[in-house]
Amino acid sequence: MSPAHPPNHDPLADEWLTVRCQLGEREAFDELVARWQLPLWRYARQLTGHDAAADDATQDVWLRVLRGIARLREGAKLRPWLFGIAHRVLMDRLRAQYRMPLVSDDEADLAAQPIDEDALQLETDLAALRDGLARLPALECEVLTLFYLQQLSLDEVSQVLAVPVGTVKSRLHRARRLLRLQLGVQGER
Amino acid sequence: MNMTAVSALLDRELSARSRVGHVLLLLAAAAMATITGSLWATEPALPARTAAAFAVMTGMGLCWVAYAAWVLAARRVLLGRQRVVASGMATLFSGVALAGALATGLLAGMPAAWPAALVFAGMTGLALALLVRARRDYARLCRRREQLAQQLRSPAPG
Repeated sequence: MSPAHPPNHDPLADEWLTVRCQLGEREAFDELVARWQLPLWRYARQLTGHDAAADDATQDVWLRVLRGIARLREGAKLRPWLFGIAHRVLMDRLRAQYRMPLVSDDEADLAAQPIDEDALQLETDLAALRDGLARLPALECEVLTLFYLQQLSLDEVSQVLAVPVGTVKSRLHRARRLLRLQLGVQGER
Repeated sequence: MNMTAVSALLDRELSARSRVGHVLLLLAAAAMATITGSLWATEPALPARTAAAFAVMTGMGLCWVAYAAWVLAARRVLLGRQRVVASGMATLFSGVALAGALATGLLAGMPAAWPAALVFAGMTGLALALLVRARRDYARLCRRREQLAQQLRSPAPG
């Protein structure tokens, strides 16, 4: 299953922006920010759970983008490159913030995943889905956010997370099960 | 979402003044380190304090070279035409310094001019190589920009 690409998924336009940025055109940077600020902020918001933290993380992402865009060889891959930077920034921040290891693929134990007993019953709209996502462990929340909310392809998610496509598929499978578990438990209450 | 903060970040990160300043710092520090290093290495019978002063000045110059190079590589990345301009400046400055060192060596017979000329020759060669690469990359980006502009103006049917 692959999601439809969002309106701003246009590799040609991305490469156009990248090349102009690499040439040093200031207005191209403004367009780059206008085009990608909101998707990156939403991704950060989903993983951090706070507006202020998402603001900080997004600013850090842009700093790294500005300093690294000259080295981006394939402008058409701007989208996974941007989300890859955001992924690294967010993982660094999560590690620093919580000082605890993230759940790895090997360590994941579905039965041991905590379920928030006090959570409100999930609704069927997007806001409720985001709520449910936020309750998942970081890896599962992230892979669902990238695939369903940001609508990256499996290949792009694989590039962003720097893991093989097969790992992305297994994470997605586990994340969907966890989310279903959450929805099921909360639906009974 | 804080667009004002991102805009301020763009202004700060893309400031031309900062880039030009660091390019000039790099060139001036390299010239200073070369001259003081040459004097320190070749002047006979320097008083100990003078030799120490030259050594310290050479070290300081090299530190400034390292700092400016690091800033330009990691913090104020040079893009497209900026790289062409910066490497052109480096070629011009190191070429002038090389000519000055050669003239000093030939006309004034100062021994310190020869190691300085050697270093400046190396800098000129490096600057030329950077200039050639920067011009090639810039031309490639301009060609690709033009191709993409055409494709975006007339998208393929279907």
